[in-house]
Amino acid sequence: MNKSAFLILTAFWAAHAGTIFLPGYPDKILAIDESTHKIIDRIPSEIGIPTSISQSYDRKKIYVTSNDHNGVEVIDIATRRVLDHFVLNEGNHQQRIYGVAPDPADKILYTVVRDVTKQADRYEIGKFKYAVIDIAQKKIVRTADIPPDEQEGNIPYPGMNPFHVSPDGKYLYQFRDKVTILDSSNFQVVDKIDLAKPDFPDLTAVGIGATFGTLFEQGAFISLFNAEDPIVHRRQFGIARFDLNSREFQFTEIGPAPAGMMGIQVAPDRKTGYSVISSGEHGNRRCEFWAFDLTKNQRTMTAEFPCRPRFSFGISSDGKHLYLYGAGFEIESWNAATLKHEETIDLHNDVTMGGIIVVP
Amino acid sequence: MRHLRAVNLKARRIHDFVTATQDHVVGLQGPPPPPKMRVPLGCTLIFTPGWEVDSAGGAAGLCQPLERDIYDCYVDCYWPAQVPDHLNNATDWANKCASATKDWRNLDLIFP
Repeated sequence: MNKSAFLILTAFWAAHAGTIFLPGYPDKILAIDESTHKIIDRIPSEIGIPTSISQSYDRKKIYVTSNDHNGVEVIDIATRRVLDHFVLNEGNHQQRIYGVAPDPADKILYTVVRDVTKQADRYEIGKFKYAVIDIAQKKIVRTADIPPDEQEGNIPYPGMNPFHVSPDGKYLYQFRDKVTILDSSNFQVVDKIDLAKPDFPDLTAVGIGATFGTLFEQGAFISLFNAEDPIVHRRQFGIARFDLNSREFQFTEIGPAPAGMMGIQVAPDRKTGYSVISSGEHGNRRCEFWAFDLTKNQRTMTAEFPCRPRFSFGISSDGKHLYLYGAGFEIESWNAATLKHEETIDLHNDVTMGGIIVVP
Repeated sequence: MRHLRAVNLKARRIHDFVTATQDHVVGLQGPPPPPKMRVPLGCTLIFTPGWEVDSAGGAAGLCQPLERDIYDCYVDCYWPAQVPDHLNNATDWANKCASATKDWRNLDLIFP
């Protein structure tokens, strides 16, 4: 290959490399070039420590939230500039939020809030409530009480994605101990499905919610779930595909449920998916990558890897690399085809457990 | 003078007030605070077994590097450790700390 051809090829590759967005301490969103693994931008978080990020429905913006000032920031992905930001705190009153889910029009954000009022001698802590944030008005415009039996399932945590919204905007999906479907107009439960989001020991409530499963443009959601038969309570894991508009789903069992399992990350060709499973705990924990052929609903490959005590899991924009990140200042890159370690990227900046967004 | 006790109520109230200003226990060590109701400054006021251990009493379940765990304790008091309370009282404590292993010297003491 001559020099000019090499330069053209390099420029082509650079032009098509994706970008990783990671919320970092203390007040930045790190933009990392996937080809060079360099930080190309540090987008300021005007709302405090960014504890959650989520992508807009049109895939053009990022919503950042903080739980100290309880703010929302909107970032344009193309220009990597802050378009808007506001906080919900007023005086001695907080509306504590941990993550948001945009509606298909990207005008309102669905979330779960908790009232916190600072009195002279104490804090008054309210119950969790469903809430709707109007981005244009920069405030909460609607709330609804959560029934007592639903309170525990709605306890939020940093990085949590509280809902997945159907493309027609009518339904809100919560993937937790059961799949709970709410009417977006009044937050009433319209259906429950006996499929459970897998647990991951030691990470149970920390920051894996944002990366659970993959939502495609037309409202098709895919991830791994556990199901239990009612007689001997044997837990089986499998792949579930949801049509968020019609509320129909298809669940294909694959095998006995492992002790710990994350959601699935799907490659852009939608034929291959990856997950992380674990067994044991603390110093004895073992972790493995599992690869799945989504056309046949089969596990195709496994590989053990030395896992950190706390991490999150993602996939590159081209589906060729798997990322382990979070709870540290490094991203570990693994080859998706061979499940072999490739590189450890030192960001020189700690990242929060607020999730990851990778755009082509 | 400690062996002397006040006999009238007003003198006792003065004594109690002075004692309160001198010996009041607050979340973190600092100069004598003014006599008023206070809100605890830290995520926990329990000082045993140390600043942080995992749920098994060891360190294998903590972050790697270990220093990074200070954020998950501090940001939402997820784990009971002797760190300031980010949500209520010390929102700016880590504003100068982007990497806990390198910038920990920028984490300062908190006073009421």
